[in-house]
Amino acid sequence: MNGSPIIEVNQLKLFFEEDHERAILDGISFDVHKNENLLILGPSGCGKSTLTHCLNGLFPRELDGTLNGEVKINGKDTKSFVNGGVAHHIGVVFQDPESQFCMLTVEDEIAFGLENIGINRSEMKKRVDFTLKLVEMEAYKDRVISTLSGGEKQKIALACILAMEPEVIILDEPTANLDPKASGDFIKTLRDLQKEKDFSLIVIEHKLENWVTFIDRCIFMNEKGQIFFDGLLRKGLNQHRSALEMIGISIPQVTEIAIQAEKQSGKAIANLPIKIEELTQHPIPSSLLASSKVYKTITTPLLRLEDISWTKSKTDIIKPINITFYKEQFVAIVGANGSGKSSFSKLIAGLQKPTSGKVTLEKKPLTNWKEKQLRKRIGYVFQNPEHQFITDSVFDEVAFSLRMQQLPTDQINQLVKRTLDHCQLSDLEDHHPYTLSQGQKRRLSVATMIVDDQSLLILDEPTFGQDAYSTKQLLKLLKERYQKGTSIIAITHDMDIVNDYADRVIVIEKGNIALDVTPEQLWNCSTEKLDKWHLQLPLKIKLKKIHEKRLAYVSS
Amino acid sequence: MFLHSLNPSIKAITVILSVILLTLVFDPITPLLFIVWIWILTIGVGKVPWKRYALFFSPFLIFSVGMFWTTIVFANEPNNPKNVISLLGFLVPEEDFTTALALSLRMMSFTSLTLMFILTTNVVHLILSLMQQCKMPPKLAYGILAGYRFLPSMREELGLVRSAHRVRGVNRASSIKESIQQSKRFAVPLLASAIRKAERTATAMESKGFTDSRNRTFYRTFTVSKKDWLFMGLMLMMLILFASISWYLGYFKWYSSEF
Repeated sequence: MNGSPIIEVNQLKLFFEEDHERAILDGISFDVHKNENLLILGPSGCGKSTLTHCLNGLFPRELDGTLNGEVKINGKDTKSFVNGGVAHHIGVVFQDPESQFCMLTVEDEIAFGLENIGINRSEMKKRVDFTLKLVEMEAYKDRVISTLSGGEKQKIALACILAMEPEVIILDEPTANLDPKASGDFIKTLRDLQKEKDFSLIVIEHKLENWVTFIDRCIFMNEKGQIFFDGLLRKGLNQHRSALEMIGISIPQVTEIAIQAEKQSGKAIANLPIKIEELTQHPIPSSLLASSKVYKTITTPLLRLEDISWTKSKTDIIKPINITFYKEQFVAIVGANGSGKSSFSKLIAGLQKPTSGKVTLEKKPLTNWKEKQLRKRIGYVFQNPEHQFITDSVFDEVAFSLRMQQLPTDQINQLVKRTLDHCQLSDLEDHHPYTLSQGQKRRLSVATMIVDDQSLLILDEPTFGQDAYSTKQLLKLLKERYQKGTSIIAITHDMDIVNDYADRVIVIEKGNIALDVTPEQLWNCSTEKLDKWHLQLPLKIKLKKIHEKRLAYVSS
Repeated sequence: MFLHSLNPSIKAITVILSVILLTLVFDPITPLLFIVWIWILTIGVGKVPWKRYALFFSPFLIFSVGMFWTTIVFANEPNNPKNVISLLGFLVPEEDFTTALALSLRMMSFTSLTLMFILTTNVVHLILSLMQQCKMPPKLAYGILAGYRFLPSMREELGLVRSAHRVRGVNRASSIKESIQQSKRFAVPLLASAIRKAERTATAMESKGFTDSRNRTFYRTFTVSKKDWLFMGLMLMMLILFASISWYLGYFKWYSSEF
């Protein structure tokens, strides 16, 4: 790179007030040059967000703690900038699409940043229109932000920053709360933008997957807040291939399959692939791609929906539906955002009263069940686990429903211990539920829903916004329940879960059941149909299809 | 739409001035005429749907009628007990009747003024205008705006927490004690998420260069024009006119700590 760097970080070390022993960031040094793209990878809680705050000048001004070392922007220390001055150079798009706006409408929000840095009114109008055009959202100018989808909100957040024309844009896990389609769109927008405008990009993530196609340089951080690699992504993957997953950085699935293939064949792959086209250059044993899943075909009905529909303020959220769920099956519910998946699941659980029709559980209408008895049979895990917490400790949380049933103390203790053990929460018994990590919170809310041996467990996007390690642990837990005979209904955007776990998959489209088949049958649908439902093929299926095509080509 | 396009700060000041002037007067005719005038303005000129207006107004109407009745029933000893009028078959001293009417009409006139303001003013515009015309500090103004944005989502979240607790087998509260306990349980997750959201929003605002300095430009500018002063003048003139009519009819009375 030529010229002097825009950002220089020098031996940055940061402690929070509460804990003088543990450094959040420990000796961080790196440079970012003009038009350079940098990916910073690290597990949850490695201090990535803290680093963002250091780069955009929020720290040390707002910091309760100590900061050593320096951050320079164009050669000037961030400490010597006037209040808000760093915003001229650095812009940040945050993770949560809900809470990074303060105005009601799109244009006011974009203008807000420009007002802050004192752009005059006629220039502001031009910039608002121009940036909306850049992110292809001109039609949304007058829209109220809260009516937009998550993906649209993130694009607007990006537009707000672009309008201020910073030299560096930092993206702090920008796609963590988006579905795969929205993530893909967002990243494509960024790629297109860089062709038209000059800016450097720093992406802070724990998922490599989506970014490999256009970011070469990366920095790996560990949970101690140290940098252990700075260089080309490919080189880093090769050097640290075995360590990454342990640390909590999820490597691309393509690379993972290559590593597995390497293990099976015993032939070392010198240059690990990161894109699907590269992986297909290598021989992959077909056993790796074949699904080991055997579909359970049980026909004992558990729950039946008859002509169920739900209308809210004159809009049909769920149109009349007839469906039967069987015992001991794993059912995946998929579909685009806003297609009515969550509403559908709430009707199943009896949490939402249908406008018409009836739901029967074990041949008895839900309305005839006593609430207490019903909750002992159906468990529902909400998207935000915090909503479900009632007590002040992990132990009490799990014991809550048992105590409500006035079971003897010995039995309660025994049941709670067993459940906590099962969910890998045993050593956290006395912690307050709110102090757990995101993954632990999710497992705790599952624990509260299985302690009564519920026969049906409904989960609303159980793996959303979690890092690779927590996802793995949760899925392991669900698999165990499933093998013990619990029926599971999971809303998910993760096609690998559908492929690896589900016996049956239901596609919801605009409040209707568009398809109700086995995963294998779903993958055989045309690409247009899958696109329409915002679904993607899982990687293994993609590879298998490429493989089959090739075989057909060779044999003909 | 004339009322909607007025400068919100000037409109607010006009309403406050009118309220202050109305408190100085204590007779039934002035507020009565003023109420009619405000209604004509709100429904006729402001084009507020009358059904919606009636809905907002009805609780205050009931309250006023109640006040009217209690004032008559619990009135002080009248000075001229012989002057009586018949009201629904009861004989009521005339001065008690006038006092009660003045009191309840006065309340209704305040209500009408407030409703006229609320129903024809955009909250965001009001705050932006307060910042531009009345030197409200930006920190406070944008704080209120950010909070205002969260209101609908708070309601949604309460619904979620409620059903999340239902799944846990928490019964619906049947006694007052239980419902107090339950609202405590709801408060914790709601507060926790509100605090987190507030912090995130604050961080996002700051990283967009927001400071509390008044030295900022505005995308939507609010100015005070002739028509705003005209409106203020018109309102005050009408008030004086109605007071004169009342005086002419012999009802006019200054407020002298009756209630």
